[in-house]
Amino acid sequence: MISALRWLLRRLALAVLVVLGAATVAFAALHLAPGDPVRAVIGTLNPSQDLVDRVRVDLGLDQPLATQYGQLLGRLVTGDLGESYQLHRPVAEVIASEIGWTAQLAMASLVLALAPSVLLAVTTAGRRPALRRLSTVLELITASSPTFWIGTLLLAVFSFRLRLFPAAGGDGIEGLVLPAAAQAVGLIGIFTQVLRQSMERALDEPFALSARARGTGETALRLRHALRHALIPVVTLSGWITGALFSGAVVVETVFSRPGLGRTLVTAILGRDLPVVIGVVVVAAALFTLINLVVDLLYRVVDPRLREQAA
Amino acid sequence: MHNRSSLRHSPLCVALLVVGLTACGTDSGGGTASQPTTGGALTYATPVEPDCLDPAVSARDVTALVDRNIFDSLVQQKPDGSFQPWLAERWETAADGRSYTFHLRTGVRFHDGTPLDAGAVKATLDHAVDPATESRYAAGLIAGYQGTEVVDPHTAVVRLDRPNASFLQALSAPYLGIQSPRALQGDPAGRCDKPVGSGPYRFVKWEKKVGVELSRNPDYAWPPKDAGHTGPARLDSLKITFVPEDTVRVGALTSGQVQAVASVPPGRAKTLGGTVQVLRAESPGAPYTIYFNSAPGTVLADVRVRQALRRAVDLDQLVKAVYFGQYQRAWSPLTPATPFYDDATKGAFTFDQAEANRLLDEAGWTTRDGAGYRVRDGRRLTLRWPHTADMERDQRGLIGQGVQAQARQVGIEIQYTQVDQGTIGELIGKRALDLFDVSFTRPEPDILRYFFGTDSTLEKGGGNIFGLDIPGLDKLLTGGVSTLDQAERTRLYADAQRYVVDNAISLPVYVPTSLVGVTRDVHGIEFGAGAYPLFYDAWIAR
Repeated sequence: MISALRWLLRRLALAVLVVLGAATVAFAALHLAPGDPVRAVIGTLNPSQDLVDRVRVDLGLDQPLATQYGQLLGRLVTGDLGESYQLHRPVAEVIASEIGWTAQLAMASLVLALAPSVLLAVTTAGRRPALRRLSTVLELITASSPTFWIGTLLLAVFSFRLRLFPAAGGDGIEGLVLPAAAQAVGLIGIFTQVLRQSMERALDEPFALSARARGTGETALRLRHALRHALIPVVTLSGWITGALFSGAVVVETVFSRPGLGRTLVTAILGRDLPVVIGVVVVAAALFTLINLVVDLLYRVVDPRLREQAA
Repeated sequence: MHNRSSLRHSPLCVALLVVGLTACGTDSGGGTASQPTTGGALTYATPVEPDCLDPAVSARDVTALVDRNIFDSLVQQKPDGSFQPWLAERWETAADGRSYTFHLRTGVRFHDGTPLDAGAVKATLDHAVDPATESRYAAGLIAGYQGTEVVDPHTAVVRLDRPNASFLQALSAPYLGIQSPRALQGDPAGRCDKPVGSGPYRFVKWEKKVGVELSRNPDYAWPPKDAGHTGPARLDSLKITFVPEDTVRVGALTSGQVQAVASVPPGRAKTLGGTVQVLRAESPGAPYTIYFNSAPGTVLADVRVRQALRRAVDLDQLVKAVYFGQYQRAWSPLTPATPFYDDATKGAFTFDQAEANRLLDEAGWTTRDGAGYRVRDGRRLTLRWPHTADMERDQRGLIGQGVQAQARQVGIEIQYTQVDQGTIGELIGKRALDLFDVSFTRPEPDILRYFFGTDSTLEKGGGNIFGLDIPGLDKLLTGGVSTLDQAERTRLYADAQRYVVDNAISLPVYVPTSLVGVTRDVHGIEFGAGAYPLFYDAWIAR
């Protein structure tokens, strides 16, 4: 028990370091990139020097880099993300108002991706060679299609032609379907491949044989026994999935004119809105490490062998 | 007051005529409903979102588009460049051109109930120039503003430190729309999100990244003189949504999900047809232009090289190919929709590579190196043209590549390199470039001084980024802004335009054109002086 606690504390400390590291990298990248953020914030071709100086002091960009970095770390430690240059609002408020949109999209995409993947894996793992081959081809195509293109295609068919869903800005369920579907398509290919492979491995295990010997039907065996094992690698992929959903949001939110963290990030990068970029990076990094931590924690619960190793 | 009979024809055609435009769409189908109806909601999708709805702060075109519905101005600019009463019933200009007395209309109320008075004019202008406002554009428009004197509740005297012929134009722009003084006194933090004016629509809400919602101001009774009707706006509500993707915007329009869209891609304008119609308005101001660095010591200081470059490129063909015939080729440093535009510059030179070669030979660039580029005294004829994709619209990269390829045919190497916004600022600061491309929308010929005047260099916050000092041109431009005599201004600006073209000081490329797609049941959309659509007269047929 003590060892588990120590393990958790160490992991938490590491997580904090990872988040601070991400913030540092973002800070360095933004300041190494050529170009003056003050001019980007003002946005006109040739602002007067007075205005440039004034905005520079306002944003604290007249301070030496080391001081700025120190202030950033100081703020982060107290949980303050600063104020956006362009939106004139606290970054925490900006992120809070946008993260719901992205989370909603991510959850919907995940559900839309998992359901057909499970179905495909269960039907084709180790049987129905013709269907299996067809599915493999489709997986390859969907996994390698750019989300941008899929999104435009979905819009052209389901919004512009059939008029089933709004093209832009719809809130509620009908506004969520197409963006989530566009994001899910790419994931289906990957999920199905992972699921089928691990299901085929699970079906070769002795427990599968004994279940069959007990007279369990093939479909029941797959759903009740093999599927659970097959899902473990998907849990392992959680961190990657989070990343994929977040980076996918950048594209999907732009194509479907949805609010959200992805579009906020793009706008902030283009406008060199440093506090917003760093804020989004910090939140994304925190989420990422948190999910990985939870996954590791779950492993320890599921698999006793890991507990001994960690001691 | 306004022309009823023209309304009976086609309001859309009227819209086009207002900005003096070419194609008047074949308005068939449901487009000829005669009686304007009241009610309904119109959604207009535009690619860009405003940064701040306080018109004194923002410099974006889209802010003007949104704020024009919320704010009224003291005067309105007519297509011919003259001005007519709006919130100011009449005005007098002092003989020295340094003060303007505005007599305000009575009975005007802001959306928060505050009545319009001279104090509001003072509050608006003082707010624009207040350093704390950090105005990106409005303050620059009234450079030289000294203060406003409230003579009585309906008389305001605005003082300038020097005569400024572009002052009324500045006041007519949405960026200097009159704001409610009570709202200006409030919390400065929320000002970007709470615009309060006296316009035909009231601000309702701004859902970030989604859209701005406005509703009809039922008390509105003070439109500018030549508006299509009097009284409140016809639409119940107006929604401006932000849809960055071109295909999505056009798709939303053709499927009837929105009633109007901005920036129809030129390639789509002809193929849209059916239930959709495309309205065009050429932007006033400076066309998309390649500016030449002809400062002493540069390659382009030699007028023969500038002329050669101009003749080396078949712009007619290039502009037609890239914009599918939707945008006109530009000749003058002012676009045709700009007051005092001079048509005489049209066709001033022809595409003639033989002549270009002859000029370059004459200028001493006689030998060619292994790559086929011209060389003089061991130096290659190279022009540096950095550009940045962040600010690029209208597929200007294709124009750049076309110019580069054709210049190569006469032995000029153009280094058309893509850099980021910061780098371009740095290069401009060091004047380490030979060509620079930009367009600028403003219905005012003084824009020429912004780009070429010695008092508009980089150091002075102007657009003369190469620090050009052209005394002959300078005299015409300072003359143009200091006199209020229209005939004199006409002459000075005609001479200035000819001067720029005759001396090959820049290469105007095309006239930026606003292509607005509307469904056929939408009527009465007109264009403001800045080539953005106006929604006061708009209505939807049912």
